[in-house]
Amino acid sequence: MAETKIKFENVEFTYIPPNGKPVRALERLSLDVAANEFVSIVGPSGCGKSTLLYLLGGFLPLEQGEITVDGRKVSKPGPDRGIVFQHFALFPWKTVRQNVLYGLERKKMDAVQRNELAQKYIDLVKLTGFEDAWPAQLSGGMKQRVAIARTLVTDPDVLLMDEPFGALDAQTRGILQEELLAIWGLTRKTVLFVTHDVHEAVLLSDRVIVMSARPGRIKTTVNIDLPRPRNSEVTRSQNFAGYCDEIWSLVREEALVASGVRT
Amino acid sequence: MTKVAVRYTPIVLIVILWELVSRAGFVSQDVLPAFSDVMVRLWQLSADGEMLVHVSASLFRITCGLALGILVGSTLGFLLAASITAQRLVQPTLTFLYPLPKSALIPVIIIWLGFGNSAQIMVIFLGSLLPIVLGAYNGAKGVENTLIWSARSLGANALETEWQVVIRAALPDLLSGIRVALALSFVLLISSEMVGAQRGMGFLVAFLGDGGDYAGMFAGAFVISAIGFAADRAYLALYHHLLRYREA
Amino acid sequence: MVAQRKLMNILMGAILPLAVIALWEFATRERLVSPFLLPPFSRVMVRLWEDILSGELFSLAAQTFLRLAISYSIAVVIGVTLGILMARVRFVRWMLDPVISIGLPTPKIAFLPIFILWFGVFDTPKIVMAIVACIFPLIAGTWSGTQGVDKYLVWSAQNLGATRRELLLHVIFPAALPQILTAMQVALPIAFIVVIVTEMLSGGNGLGGAMIEGARLADTARVFENLIVIGLMGFMFLRGLQIVRRRILGWHAEVLQEKN
Repeated sequence: MAETKIKFENVEFTYIPPNGKPVRALERLSLDVAANEFVSIVGPSGCGKSTLLYLLGGFLPLEQGEITVDGRKVSKPGPDRGIVFQHFALFPWKTVRQNVLYGLERKKMDAVQRNELAQKYIDLVKLTGFEDAWPAQLSGGMKQRVAIARTLVTDPDVLLMDEPFGALDAQTRGILQEELLAIWGLTRKTVLFVTHDVHEAVLLSDRVIVMSARPGRIKTTVNIDLPRPRNSEVTRSQNFAGYCDEIWSLVREEALVASGVRT
Repeated sequence: MTKVAVRYTPIVLIVILWELVSRAGFVSQDVLPAFSDVMVRLWQLSADGEMLVHVSASLFRITCGLALGILVGSTLGFLLAASITAQRLVQPTLTFLYPLPKSALIPVIIIWLGFGNSAQIMVIFLGSLLPIVLGAYNGAKGVENTLIWSARSLGANALETEWQVVIRAALPDLLSGIRVALALSFVLLISSEMVGAQRGMGFLVAFLGDGGDYAGMFAGAFVISAIGFAADRAYLALYHHLLRYREA
Repeated sequence: MVAQRKLMNILMGAILPLAVIALWEFATRERLVSPFLLPPFSRVMVRLWEDILSGELFSLAAQTFLRLAISYSIAVVIGVTLGILMARVRFVRWMLDPVISIGLPTPKIAFLPIFILWFGVFDTPKIVMAIVACIFPLIAGTWSGTQGVDKYLVWSAQNLGATRRELLLHVIFPAALPQILTAMQVALPIAFIVVIVTEMLSGGNGLGGAMIEGARLADTARVFENLIVIGLMGFMFLRGLQIVRRRILGWHAEVLQEKN
């Protein structure tokens, strides 16, 4: 059994909006993620799945509970927990290459090594030839590839992905999902992947966590027993459809609860 | 209520500091009359009607000038947006006129119209034109074709479409342009009154200063600032009211 | 094809000014308008040429230019710094927020007589007045731009290991730059208007001073010639800023669109 890489213990989080009452986003949430595991988190809108990721990333202050990676407590952001955001968050004033180099420059590597490594990852995400393009010149899918390269190049212990394909059209999404599977197959990083797309979660993950409506708790965990390496072919299998149905009805239950609470 | 108080506390602190510095004599009372003295003088000038004469002269001028500017400017802007030929004819000229400081027109207008109301109004009118034309033009140009097509397919003719769809959709840009013109109008109003007028707030402040009534001069400057500030705030309220559908 | 289009545009654009000039010359030559009110265009041009040759125009323009350059530069440095401080330091924001809020829509030109009282009649009050007048949009625009930086950009930089200092330099400042440059473009015409007005009011030579003197002495040609020079100056300044903006923001979507 692989050792635990990420551990959430009794994590709670309350969000305080500028004008309004505090909102309980996460309640007594505990979760273990094993090394080299690809775990997806799904749930209705507002259930706190992104909050979970941001706490792990160190972007939000953790007041209650504990989060550890490899036994070390998490408090501030750092390159050991690389993150990819939904809206790419590329530095628009830097070219593709400069974006990818940014994390490497913080690590004080020598220039030749840096450039080689950056080029390697630009090639990996199939953007060879676009090294000197500005983000404003790229399509959504291309921007996300840069974001992925930028994060992976720093060799993080853990990869956090916050609905990374949510802003892309269906075709591009499908292509990038397959590419992610391939890249992950090469590096086998521990991944925590947040999405509202159940189909995507089943396709990519070893395990899917279903969260409850706000305040977020873990409703159920579903182990995805589909063989690896995977590609889009697997979506045609009976088992795949079964998993999707199962998870979708769970999410739907919570989504109904969430909309009921709102009115 | 307390939020407002906390927000404007620094102003109160500055005023207190001012009063102390002046009263204690750190700075000569000639150069910096005490805040209280200024307020007293303000009261005096208002009470004997002096202030009112000049305030009304100024307000009259800016209202006329701006109203004309809005009428002519928005019409021109909308017409421009409607005709590509007009755009190509006029655009380079407008691009050149835009950076011309409209205060430079004051001497020309003094020669043409002298020192009376019509001169001040003309300066304000000409100065406010460009931002309004630009606002109307940008607003009208930016109206999505889909909006216009929807209106036409629902039976509106060209004039109705222009009025109900284009002008409404152009409102935000136009109103922003008018806000810029408002601030500019105040600057031009005071400037032209200081240069050549026999009444008005700009004239008053310069006159009091020349005569050594420094507390009065400060008082006048305050009244001008207060009017300009109030006008902008009132305009903002109007702006939000007209565009309330956006915030809903 | 594209070159033909461009030529057409230039020609069409020139029609209006040429027509105006032609009308101007005609109306004044035919005495439809009194030459006192409107000297013939040709006479204005001759006068302009004379003053260029005598060096008079250059010294006037230089005075105006220097006042503008000095006040604008000081305003930009102080204004942008204060704007960034406002976004980063709570105390500064608390102190300056009401000042900006009240100061921005206020016609600050009303304080000119006060500045003349404090600083005399030479260059200082003019420069101070111009600084005070144009610094408000600079502070407000910089503050807005710095505050409004996309939090995901900040988080990404932190995620990749940026220190606080690196964050400010590498992310926040570049992200705020478009708005800072816009504020600079707004502030320049304001400074220019104010410099001209102050020259007209406190006997300060420069182009504004020359214009008002021309008005007082009924020397209309002088008024018009200086008006033209002022117009050209303003145009060149704004053009200059536009070019600077295009170079610095070469990565920005708006600039890339223009190139296409």
